Amino acid sequence: MKKKLLAVLLAATMVAGLTACGGGNADSAGGDTSTSTEDTASEDGSSDEASSEESGDADTTAAADIDTSEHVKIVYMTTGDAPSGDKLDRYNEMMEQLNAILTEKVNAELETLFISWTDYLSNYNLTLARMDGTVDLVGTASDWLDAWPNSKNGAFIELSEDMLKTYAPKTWESVPAENWEMCKYNGEIYLIPEDNYAQWTNHGFTYRLDWAKEAGLENGVHSWEDMTEYFRYVKEAYPDIIPWDSDGTQYATMVGGWIASHSNYVPIDGINSGAMWGGTKDDLYTVYSPYVTDTDSLVEFAKMMKEWDEIGVWKTDVLNNTASTNRDDYRIGKVAAEQHHTQTWTDLVSHTPANKIYETDEDADSGFFYFGEESQNVVALSITHGAMAVSAGSANPERALMVYDLLRNDPECYKLFCYGIEGISYEVTDDGLRATPEGYNSETDNINGITNYWWGRNDDLEIRAADRDWDKIDKMYADYDKIKIEYPYGQFVAEVDDIQAKISNINEIHTNYMKQIAFGKYSGTAEEIVAEYQEALKSAGIDDVTAALQAQFDALYK
Amino acid sequence: MKKKKNGEMTFIQKVIKYRTLLLMCLPAIVFFFMFNYMPLPGIWVAFVKYNYRNGIFGSKFVGLQNFEFLATSGKLLSLTKNTILYNLAFILLGNLLAVFVAILLNEMQSRMFKKVSQTIMFLPYFISQVLVGILVFNLLNYDTGFVNGILTKIGVERWQPYSDPGVWPVLLVIIYLWQQTGYNSVVYFASIMGIDGEMMEAAKVDGANGFQRIRYIILPSLKPTIVILLLFALGGIVKGNFGLFYNIVGTNPILYETTDIIETYVYRATMTDFNFATASAVGLYQSIVGFVIVVTVNYIVKKIEPEYSLF
Repeated sequence: MKKKLLAVLLAATMVAGLTACGGGNADSAGGDTSTSTEDTASEDGSSDEASSEESGDADTTAAADIDTSEHVKIVYMTTGDAPSGDKLDRYNEMMEQLNAILTEKVNAELETLFISWTDYLSNYNLTLARMDGTVDLVGTASDWLDAWPNSKNGAFIELSEDMLKTYAPKTWESVPAENWEMCKYNGEIYLIPEDNYAQWTNHGFTYRLDWAKEAGLENGVHSWEDMTEYFRYVKEAYPDIIPWDSDGTQYATMVGGWIASHSNYVPIDGINSGAMWGGTKDDLYTVYSPYVTDTDSLVEFAKMMKEWDEIGVWKTDVLNNTASTNRDDYRIGKVAAEQHHTQTWTDLVSHTPANKIYETDEDADSGFFYFGEESQNVVALSITHGAMAVSAGSANPERALMVYDLLRNDPECYKLFCYGIEGISYEVTDDGLRATPEGYNSETDNINGITNYWWGRNDDLEIRAADRDWDKIDKMYADYDKIKIEYPYGQFVAEVDDIQAKISNINEIHTNYMKQIAFGKYSGTAEEIVAEYQEALKSAGIDDVTAALQAQFDALYK
Repeated sequence: MKKKKNGEMTFIQKVIKYRTLLLMCLPAIVFFFMFNYMPLPGIWVAFVKYNYRNGIFGSKFVGLQNFEFLATSGKLLSLTKNTILYNLAFILLGNLLAVFVAILLNEMQSRMFKKVSQTIMFLPYFISQVLVGILVFNLLNYDTGFVNGILTKIGVERWQPYSDPGVWPVLLVIIYLWQQTGYNSVVYFASIMGIDGEMMEAAKVDGANGFQRIRYIILPSLKPTIVILLLFALGGIVKGNFGLFYNIVGTNPILYETTDIIETYVYRATMTDFNFATASAVGLYQSIVGFVIVVTVNYIVKKIEPEYSLF
């Protein structure tokens, strides 16, 4: 008997040993338990912590009373690749100056934790889940960085009004009450919005306007059909150029762009990466999924993408292409288009040192075809497209807020953190614009491209870049302002626990089919693949998800 | 502890008698205890809606909800099938080739040649899967791949493996064997080395030729090693080789039909929404299936040849 028992135990050991992968997870999770049980005496840790936070505040109501005698390190987490070499030196020089100021003002120093772009979302979430005080300030976003799921999972601290008033008073004052409303979940504020920064992140294609004109498109590209014509011309006239060296991840934006261009669809952010549910401009609060209803449009899309694939717009093995450097290639004229948002176009259209095409070819010019142009369907950015949160694992949430308040509102800190050291990374011209100084190297000296501070930029402190082509940019912004609608679902945070399994499966189906459709890699006809895709969505329960979201909408908006 | 009739020792007596051996095992025992038994309660995470702040045991219990996604995906069967079939191919072909290579190495006369070939075969084992993925892509891709470069040079039509799911089972097995054989053969090579030299001498004197020595001495002597390694490997038959598949196939849905295994599917579906609980539920499912398989296979082995069973 004993031998049997031992044997079973042994076998269990072995299986457990083989759970190397799962074991790894359980391991780190196990590590969490011990720490989290420490700070949650009762089952409901969140309210517990919040109340202790508040009681702490009672002692320190006035800013002057805040005890900053202990020097602390605040870690700021952002997406972006960690600098190295000369870049790192520049960054360190800037941080040294910044930290001197931070130490003087709030006795804290700042450090950055970079989440590199490869698999950024997984690594980002994993770092948050560690909850061991690795990070304090967390750059986040409701539409592309899981701000709400993380808030629900307990990764972020609840920011009470008292806390904000005490530790981030300037920020508290500058954000209007209705904007704080957009940052609440269950009545608690989790995010500090980047709500005073004008930017457009609606996607589209940046293309070579000069080549479009050669192709006979005198006014540039203004529809998907024009884009086809443009690509066809580029492929013929410039055989050495890959029209658009896409990687395999662009499928969701492309089909999303197509739908925006061919309907009045207004997607809800943050439910899944495909933004597959929403309303229409005329009827905002009736939830539907165009991926189920707009069959004809999708078939047309599938056909056009097949055509693009046959033209040779992208590399044949685009779906396995992970090493594309399309944007940099655009700058040096190796490709003819870049799919990204308006903000990126404002860079690409400008005659900056990095954009070599304008040096080598004086006719070169970049146009922008934005998705939704045909149907005049443009939705302004949600104010939580960039936001700052404080990690619930942070040992010094108060100091983190104080640091953030400085980064966002103190001109000196702001300029250092966003632009770098004056004279090295930038200089201010006589007419108040931000220019690059003598000897500036865009590869290494661009602090803006290192710190990636996209979670609290502030137009009051922004210095417009001198090398941007503001005439073109302002014209584009003015066009948008004429047709835009404000993002209507800012207050809606979907409750997805009961439908998560369905959404996960829908994500998988969407990704698998849409990659084939959006790169024209499907076999059979367009009608068949779209029918198959929609069938799969239906059997995964997309209608149930739509109904569940509608019920939540009705509860909130009716 | 009751005393057994035929003079067998009790557990405690055994502990005392074999204390030195036990002491030598201690590091391994401690290791397994710390890394495999202590985290076991963490399995609970598969049954809760995990909240970072409340921890595993403070989070809300949701029963089997975390298993729902895998069950309702309609893919469970095909994923499990792919995973098991690939692993079977890896295990069987891998061991077969490793034994073969070990025997060849053993028969080699030139010491120099033996060492060099062993080293060359061993090398791929140390290449990271990420690099292997890149190597394979550079060999096989349509536009700039090495293979296609040669094909066009000799006037043959280009080959499009990244759009052809049919070729991948073969390719993946070849890549796996290329990477693992050198390493696996070391174990067998070592057991061959351990075979009593006198037996070989005696066989030689009796006039056995090389093939006969392999057939009647080496292979039978290797049998226990082969069986034990197979048993070990079978326990992991439901655990896919994530590194290999993810790095080589990537996220190309055209190839999923023949290359999607449980790990890659779960990674794609849950890592983006970052669902610990679901991922752990899948891990638990795999562990249970693996456990059942080990116990079953061991039972069968025991019926046939009790000597070779694990327990």
